[in-house]
Amino acid sequence: MIPRFWLLVLFLTLGLQSVTAQDAENENANTNQGRLSGNLQLNGNFFMRDSSIGAANTPQYDRQLFGADSWLNLNYQNWGFDMGIRFDMFNNSNLLNPLASYNGVGIGRWYISKTINKLSITGGYIYDIIGSGIIFRAYEERPLLIDQALYGIKVGYQLTDNWKVKAFSGQQKQQFDTYASVLRGAAIDGFVGSDSSRVTLAPGFGVVARTLDDGSMNNLVATLNTYSKTDIFTPKYNTYAFSAYNTLNAGPFSWYLEGAYKTADAIFDPLKERVTVGGDTILGRYVQGEGSVLYSSLSYANKGLGLTVEGKRTENFDFRSRPQEEGIRGLLHYIPPMTRVNTYRLLARYAANTQFVGEQAFQVDASYAVNKKLNLSANFSNITNLEGEQLYREIFTEIYYKYKRKWTLTTGVQLQNYNLEVYFGKPDAAPANTITPYFDFLYKFNPKTSIRFESQYMSMSKDHGERADYGDWFFALAEFTLAPHWAFTVSDMYNIAPGKVSPVDVKTGEKEKIHYPRFDVFYTHKANRFSLSYVKQVEGVVCSGGICRLEPAFSGVKMSVNSTF
Amino acid sequence: MKKHILLLAAAIFFLSACEEIEPTVTGSMGGEVIESPVEDQLRQVIIEEFTGVRCVQCPAGSAFIQDLLAQHGERLIAVSIHAGSFSFPYSDSQFDFRTEEGNQLISYLNEPFGYPSASVNRKLFPGQFDLQLGQGDWAGYIASELAIAPKLRINIEPDFNAANRELTAKVTLFVDEAITDPDVRLSLMITESNIADLQLTPASSTPQVDYKHKHALRGMLTNYDGQPITESLSAGAKIEKTFSFTMPAEWKEDECEIVAIVSLNGASKEVLQAHQVHVVE
Repeated sequence: MIPRFWLLVLFLTLGLQSVTAQDAENENANTNQGRLSGNLQLNGNFFMRDSSIGAANTPQYDRQLFGADSWLNLNYQNWGFDMGIRFDMFNNSNLLNPLASYNGVGIGRWYISKTINKLSITGGYIYDIIGSGIIFRAYEERPLLIDQALYGIKVGYQLTDNWKVKAFSGQQKQQFDTYASVLRGAAIDGFVGSDSSRVTLAPGFGVVARTLDDGSMNNLVATLNTYSKTDIFTPKYNTYAFSAYNTLNAGPFSWYLEGAYKTADAIFDPLKERVTVGGDTILGRYVQGEGSVLYSSLSYANKGLGLTVEGKRTENFDFRSRPQEEGIRGLLHYIPPMTRVNTYRLLARYAANTQFVGEQAFQVDASYAVNKKLNLSANFSNITNLEGEQLYREIFTEIYYKYKRKWTLTTGVQLQNYNLEVYFGKPDAAPANTITPYFDFLYKFNPKTSIRFESQYMSMSKDHGERADYGDWFFALAEFTLAPHWAFTVSDMYNIAPGKVSPVDVKTGEKEKIHYPRFDVFYTHKANRFSLSYVKQVEGVVCSGGICRLEPAFSGVKMSVNSTF
Repeated sequence: MKKHILLLAAAIFFLSACEEIEPTVTGSMGGEVIESPVEDQLRQVIIEEFTGVRCVQCPAGSAFIQDLLAQHGERLIAVSIHAGSFSFPYSDSQFDFRTEEGNQLISYLNEPFGYPSASVNRKLFPGQFDLQLGQGDWAGYIASELAIAPKLRINIEPDFNAANRELTAKVTLFVDEAITDPDVRLSLMITESNIADLQLTPASSTPQVDYKHKHALRGMLTNYDGQPITESLSAGAKIEKTFSFTMPAEWKEDECEIVAIVSLNGASKEVLQAHQVHVVE
């Protein structure tokens, strides 16, 4: 804590010096100046208990009533140094665990970097990536409170104009602490071709090693020592992950290929059977095996036609700071999802989590601009496990029509096949087959004033005679915009034909047709954006940046402030 | 060129895999079921599992706890607390395992991030977010807690009157090492095992009707966070407390245990010692 305190003092001192220098500059045209910039993100949640939708029985609903999350980021550049500090605050926050309350306040990030000729040095909390992130990605995703920063040191060296290497060592951030395991890694990235050449290559190779800490290894060994002899293995302290990747650009084509391999590592396979010493057969045990990922993406873009084909095969590629971590915690890497990122409310309801243990996926995305008014697009994605069992399939179509500058219409239909057994952990559940037509209509009264309507209807398949999961949904939204400052939205998500898990009305014994309304007001002034929302939200999968988790229902008022300065 | 060779050599050195000395994994070696008198009592550890009849993954955690109990004998005490989002009974359930104290305890020890989840000695272990632990950490933390000498020992003398179902428990604390924490508490729980009732399992979307629920928390003889110990906890102190409780008729006394824990209350909620006895000896 003391070093962080002194760092803060140093930073503020530098900042004050900068202000002084800037003042001096204003007065004396002094050229010595620093640049201080930053941003603030502040979210506040007022929790209003509503047990009818399951928004209850958490500390926030029961007694705390309010929670806040905030990130205040400051960056300063001067004398060839680049440095930054971030103040993080979590008050009765439901971000870390949606069912619990988390409190933590402190310096969430600091870094300092300097480039000396061809050498660059960065120390502190570092965000970085190797290739597409399959073996290493240090990043943050605030809506899910993912912060996989590396707390350590990184050096980079520009070998030639087109080739550079980097190496790092450190530990992964864990809120205001770090995981005890140690990471180290290196990568070389290059570029082959010239500005005038039609064919260019951007090859690279990276490696990351994780050394498991003694505490985590002791816990792993203690767990394995409760297993019967047929299920045990000797775990490794050191695991290495390698990746080779390349982007080939040739005219309208772009082809990315990455292959990754991980040496033997203990991972928890939730679907592996184990017979306990007591004789019970249970699901889930540690296994150790080598891992691999093969990922490729081929794109073509020319004269209004865009085409992307992607494929991915994943096997045993759960790579974490410690194998005991679950869900989205402690991940060292990021495996790109192989599905379309949907934004419309009902279309995004069933999202496919990346399956680290095993997955085979491919996706085709096509878009064609018929003329300036009309654009057609379609997407198909398919995910199975390594045994061929269907996990997810989506067919998506979209027609976009623009009439002068007056109105636009976006419409289409989405068909999904979603494995509730795997993604929601519901035993024996039939897959959710949905058909969801949608439209989005935007009408501009004048360049500043517009109104937008969107609507979707999700029709759900049957599961053992009843509609699967929550059944059918209807969603409608109206948004009125007064540019550049104001926007107002009102929406409702209505469980029009309830399904298996829809709540039951205790008085009638019937499944309830519940409304989930939402009202938002947005105000923007220059680089400041404010929002105030009344929200009732059904439980579901919430995704951010391709990473998803199950979130409980929400009832209450949300407010946010975003500011850049 | 020399520079590049130097870089390559550094990279190889940085990442090279010298042979590591591997840990020893034996697999299960069977149990060490020992019953010891209070004079010889060693550290006894409590694992409080949070579960629910609608929690599909929880039976796997419970089965794992049975293996841990078989391994550690009387030195490990398990309490299954039915609370949280999966604990709402089915319409066909014979029992509602939820208790007022269980609902308070899940809030006191924080809601789990996922299930199965348990707290070991209510201790915040280094590197953990909170007291709730995924099952990958249970065995290791139990082992590390068992290695610590107890600061006190607990003796429980139950007396159950079958005629009026009144249970009296005399609890004696023998303090071996002075405890200076300002707020120390004694909690007394009643658990019941081998209750056949509905439980969701991975086998089917309909619950198993005859699942044997074990060490389910049925009630407490103290407040959920314990009764403050106001007496001095200096080394050598002996503190006696007596509790009475009328057991509901549906609890089978032969399957019930009294669990006593001495824990801190404050920033740390750590359990200093635990002990359990049968209601009917």
